[in-house]
Amino acid sequence: MTTDSLLTIASHVYAVAAIAYLAMLFRPLAAWAWVGRGLVAGGLVLHGLYLLRILSQDAPVLSRGEGLAAAGFVTLLLFLGLELFYRRPVLGAFVTPLAAGVLLPAAAIGQPVEGSSLHGPLLSIHIGLAVLGLAAFAVAAAVAGMYLLMEREARRKRFGLIFERLPSLQFLDDLHRRLGLVGFVVLSLTLLSGAYFARATPLESWSFKAIATVLVWLVFGVLLQARLLGGWKGRRLAVVTMAGFGILLVSFFGSYVPVAVGP
Amino acid sequence: MSVSDLMVLGLSHQSAPVEIRERVALEEDVLRASMRNLHEQGLEVMWLSTCNRVEVYVASEDVERAEALVRAQLLRFGGPGAEPHLYLHRAEAALVHLFRVASSLESMVVGEPQILGQVKEALELAKDVGAVGSELVRACSAAFGAAKRVRSETGIGRAAVSMASAAVALAGKILGELKGRNVLLVGAGEMAEHAARHLRQAGVQTLWITNRTRARAEALAQAVGGEVKSFDALDAHLAQADVVVCTTASSRPIFTKERVAATLRQRRGRMLFMVDLAVPRDIAPDVSELDGVYTYDVDDVQRVVSENAAARAQEAERAQHILSEEVLRYARDRALRESMPTLVQLRRRAEAVARAEAQRTLANLGPGLNERQRRSVEAMAVAIVNKLLHEPTVRLRAAADNETHHHLVDAASELFGLETPASAPEVDEVPELRRRVAEH
Repeated sequence: MTTDSLLTIASHVYAVAAIAYLAMLFRPLAAWAWVGRGLVAGGLVLHGLYLLRILSQDAPVLSRGEGLAAAGFVTLLLFLGLELFYRRPVLGAFVTPLAAGVLLPAAAIGQPVEGSSLHGPLLSIHIGLAVLGLAAFAVAAAVAGMYLLMEREARRKRFGLIFERLPSLQFLDDLHRRLGLVGFVVLSLTLLSGAYFARATPLESWSFKAIATVLVWLVFGVLLQARLLGGWKGRRLAVVTMAGFGILLVSFFGSYVPVAVGP
Repeated sequence: MSVSDLMVLGLSHQSAPVEIRERVALEEDVLRASMRNLHEQGLEVMWLSTCNRVEVYVASEDVERAEALVRAQLLRFGGPGAEPHLYLHRAEAALVHLFRVASSLESMVVGEPQILGQVKEALELAKDVGAVGSELVRACSAAFGAAKRVRSETGIGRAAVSMASAAVALAGKILGELKGRNVLLVGAGEMAEHAARHLRQAGVQTLWITNRTRARAEALAQAVGGEVKSFDALDAHLAQADVVVCTTASSRPIFTKERVAATLRQRRGRMLFMVDLAVPRDIAPDVSELDGVYTYDVDDVQRVVSENAAARAQEAERAQHILSEEVLRYARDRALRESMPTLVQLRRRAEAVARAEAQRTLANLGPGLNERQRRSVEAMAVAIVNKLLHEPTVRLRAAADNETHHHLVDAASELFGLETPASAPEVDEVPELRRRVAEH
């Protein structure tokens, strides 16, 4: 089996898991949840093997697709852990379709092209942190999306399928805030380690990635203060979490497309 | 005995008004005496008595006589006026009724969970009196199994169907776990009491009760366990509360948007759930525009209740399918057990004949045969029995599925001159019997 086909199979397994979790939304049978969990776990094994093969190459190079694959792996691992811990299979109906939707195209463009070489322990740490931060924000964004849906139903006083199946508003609010906080801390560390590499780089030639990441970091930093001081939470925070994930995703892609800013 | 010997006679909220029901709802010692009395006349009896239903389940080989006895007993308590309210189910219909009752499909609030426990208690009481035998015990345990299946495979008991329970369920949907939350009850009437009980069931420990008339708040606090708070310091309690339940008779809203907004700063973003079960409303409609405040009024809660009731009706239909399966399975199982004695007798008889004939043949042939030849003769006799009995056995077992079952069992007994089932081996030997038939 080639390395790439491992990822392709894993992505398809996730897609089937997504179907099982979505089915659970309509018919809440415990069996669906276990099918979903089993498939995600199986997909993670294949996915992990794929990443091991990439990392054990002599001069490991992370292409755009591979970087995304690594982030997808951590995202799903994080999701499965949370799902089992809180016993909330309904999370799967939102996270797994997102993950499968990103990974299927990633698997298709997975061939190693020019990318950042992994050399030096610090650079590995930097990339590892970036991947972890992206994953935390990915799950946070999915949960924030669930929160927004649930909030809307609660305000409209419409007690339909969404209201029935989703966890309580408080649970979703707490979870996406915690994940956002974890993401923020990891992002800070990513920036610190990134700054080490960029220490010699003049400000004019900062990459798009660096600018986008600093932007997200600043926004979240301000939000964190706002929350601690002014009790800022709920809808606005959820929207910002989702937007933050969007910018990060773009920045993650951007790290493979060095864009010079300035003259 | 078999399923056809079952019978139930009784009345319920569907057939009788409460004046009749309360007359036949007996105290435990009268109940025991009644069961003992009927049992002494040769009946297996279980007397189910709840506030909505009084039913006497009976197993007896003489169902007509049993019915007359039970009817007389029930009318002795209920008076002649109870007669038109009684219903009777026999044989499989009685079994179906028992299954439906235990699964809460016959309850006033379909899906309520208490009835299963009540049937179990009735059975325990009947066992204690010594009034039940294997037929009723078996039927009941099958009914309990079916009820458990209904509960786990359908959503019949999931949704809240009273105003108070629906309000608490809504609070859970917004705030999650209610344990450890501060709950403020504004108003101390009957609705407040219902709400308090449901809140307690949901694990609420901190229950503050406030009311314009303090004495009523104190009475409620006494009844449900709570702490009385001064009505004048309402804003301070509001700032601390996570859940507010309003049930006052106030003609003007107690909570205006300004009043609630003024406490938000102190809350530091903590969510507030407010439900208004009062008409006219205690919470102004525009309170719901505030960030982090979720308010629901009587109509919203009523909508939850009616949607849930509709959902329950749908689930009840699914439950009925499950019960049909379970009843069929039970009836089949019983029929199989019933034919078991006939099958075993038939086999025993044939084996005895075969063994005797083989011995006679061997004796006639004298000592000239070696061991192998002797064994061949014996094996041949057994083989003939097996071959001959194969078809009747298969057919008798297959007949357990349909109504011709009894005729076939009777015919077999008649044709082969077997004893009547009454003197046949007891069905409690069944594991052994089953093994023997299965070996075949």
